[in-house]
Amino acid sequence: MAYPLENRPPDLRESMFFPEIIRGIGTVTRHFLKNLFFSRDANPDILARRRGGFGRSDNVTLQYPEERAPYPPGYRGLHRLVPREDGRPRCVACYMCATICPAQCIYIEAGEVPGDPIEKYPVKFVIDELRCVVCGFCVEACPKDAIRMDSGEHAAPSYERSAQIWDEKRLLRGPPVSYQYDPWLRRGASSIAPEKLEEMRARARPFPAVATDEASQTPGFSVRALAAEAKERGEAARKA
Amino acid sequence: MNRFFGMILVIAGTLAGVVLLSAGFYLASGWLGWGFNAAANWLAGTPGAVSRAAVYYGASVANVVTLLLVVLMVSASFLTVAERKWSALMQNRIGANRIKVFGTALGGIPFLLADALKMLTKERVEPTGRTRILYELAPLLAFAPVFALFAIVPVGPPIELGQVPGLVGSVAANAVEPIALQVSRTDTGLLYVFAIASLQVYGTSLAGWASNNKLALLGGVRASSQMISYEVSLGLALVGNMIAYRTLRLDEMVVAQGTPVLGPIPALGILLQPIGFLIFFASAFAETKRAPFDLPEGESEIVGYFIEYSGMKFGLMFLAEFVEIVVLSGIVTAVFLGGWHPVLFEATLKESLTPFWFAAVGAGAFIAKMIVMMWLQLTIRWLLPRFRFDQIQKLCWKILLPAALTNIFVTAAALLLDPSMQLLAWLGVVTLVVIAVLTAAVGRAPAAEAGAHAAAGH
Repeated sequence: MAYPLENRPPDLRESMFFPEIIRGIGTVTRHFLKNLFFSRDANPDILARRRGGFGRSDNVTLQYPEERAPYPPGYRGLHRLVPREDGRPRCVACYMCATICPAQCIYIEAGEVPGDPIEKYPVKFVIDELRCVVCGFCVEACPKDAIRMDSGEHAAPSYERSAQIWDEKRLLRGPPVSYQYDPWLRRGASSIAPEKLEEMRARARPFPAVATDEASQTPGFSVRALAAEAKERGEAARKA
Repeated sequence: MNRFFGMILVIAGTLAGVVLLSAGFYLASGWLGWGFNAAANWLAGTPGAVSRAAVYYGASVANVVTLLLVVLMVSASFLTVAERKWSALMQNRIGANRIKVFGTALGGIPFLLADALKMLTKERVEPTGRTRILYELAPLLAFAPVFALFAIVPVGPPIELGQVPGLVGSVAANAVEPIALQVSRTDTGLLYVFAIASLQVYGTSLAGWASNNKLALLGGVRASSQMISYEVSLGLALVGNMIAYRTLRLDEMVVAQGTPVLGPIPALGILLQPIGFLIFFASAFAETKRAPFDLPEGESEIVGYFIEYSGMKFGLMFLAEFVEIVVLSGIVTAVFLGGWHPVLFEATLKESLTPFWFAAVGAGAFIAKMIVMMWLQLTIRWLLPRFRFDQIQKLCWKILLPAALTNIFVTAAALLLDPSMQLLAWLGVVTLVVIAVLTAAVGRAPAAEAGAHAAAGH
């Protein structure tokens, strides 16, 4: 944002320095006293924080590792493999993500589901997060909504490169998702117990038309949701 | 609101703490003086005698320890933390709080230990082309003069030795020199300040010269030209006070500031010499080499005269800067702010308290005023950007120096016309009103967009 500045030479009063300096001291002192005597708004929902006004400091600091600003809904965080309700990945090892990945950071080894003539599953699904350029193409390419970047996390720092190479065990996390069009729900699958299959069919949702609409966002798996949880916990602790 | 009451508690606790601390200083001074006397008697074999010199030396030794090592060094090292925390508060931040002791940051105070540990354990890197002796000597020369300056600051009023608890009745009044929280009561007073303060420049310019580094040399040259220029206005700014109080001694100046002029209002230096105060404060600020006068450092341009110093050698120069702040606040408090006079409720306090406790309250008031002045210096340091070099010289030679000279003539004329200082006090009142009007009058309307920007919440 541009500030319109009147660019004229200083007048006599300004070139005396002291009056303007004293006024500046006044401004700084107001901030100092306000921030000294009043506490900052420590609301865990960071977007709802207020500052300034009477009885509240002007402090803008986020205590970073403890307090994190929520990312917008479309933020591309660390990958995750979306699980089904039976705890196995939705991924069918079609190699679409690995093919489109411009950084070639996805490595997949496909395996056949025993007793099933068609279905495949990833025996290995490895993402090199150091190599990833966070473009999100894998998420868009996936026909089964099996890989998402909705975790709202950065790649965490580590002392070893090997810690940044995520295999399917680490990637498979977050709440499970089922869609009505899922082939294993429509045809049935020998690897899923029949009663589990019924439960999954009951829970299945229609496939979202828009990739970023509400259904494709995972409720309870964003920083904002974590903040809301923390707030609830704090309130509960205060009541108790 | 918890923070509000907590802060009020902290401030009240600090005030009570400095009063109690001052009482402790008086006790130390009196008891060590008495102890020296006893030791002298034991050595000379004259039990029961009272030696003026022994009491004086004992009290002085106690004052060296309590004032120089406790008040000066502790406040200087606390200032390193305060600089971080206070600047954070001024800039809407939280400030250093990552070292936690039992889960609390304790206002950043544990950073003192971390800093000391860091400074002491850093690798010693020395330039090969250095001038060995001067290079090693420079941090010492930068530190020692400012440290010595505090010796003449009168922190507390004088009391008789017989008024110190535990020594009541041991010595007749006027038998020995009164005990005061002042290391050295020399007649030279302010001249000592000017003499020792001008030694500081050797430390910085020698550090720049001996480091065999272009940038350090530039910093040293900048330091010497700036500090020598500002010494002129520094000295002239105080001449008005010397004329008005008819003394060079800081302790006598403080006593003189307690006499009422203009009804009940005491003859404070800032009332009699508001212009002198501004000039002295600005000049002394330039002497401390801190922003906006930090050209010798100029970390964005030349890093400064201490660029080739590492570890505790740098730490000494760094600490010297903070010691200068404390010394400057001490001198300003003594010369302009009424020293140990509590000013408010002084008569009531004097009636209701014993002399010992009144002295302790007075010394506490002095330290409290000093803290306010230190805070003011840090505020200015975080308020103003660095001056350009021509602006620095212009401020000195074309604004401060003529103003100081005019101030001397006006002060002298006013005192010649009216030796009771009333005319001078009225002149001071008029000046203060003029400054207030000039400050409050809106010169340039602040941009409206700035407010909207601040409210946007980022």
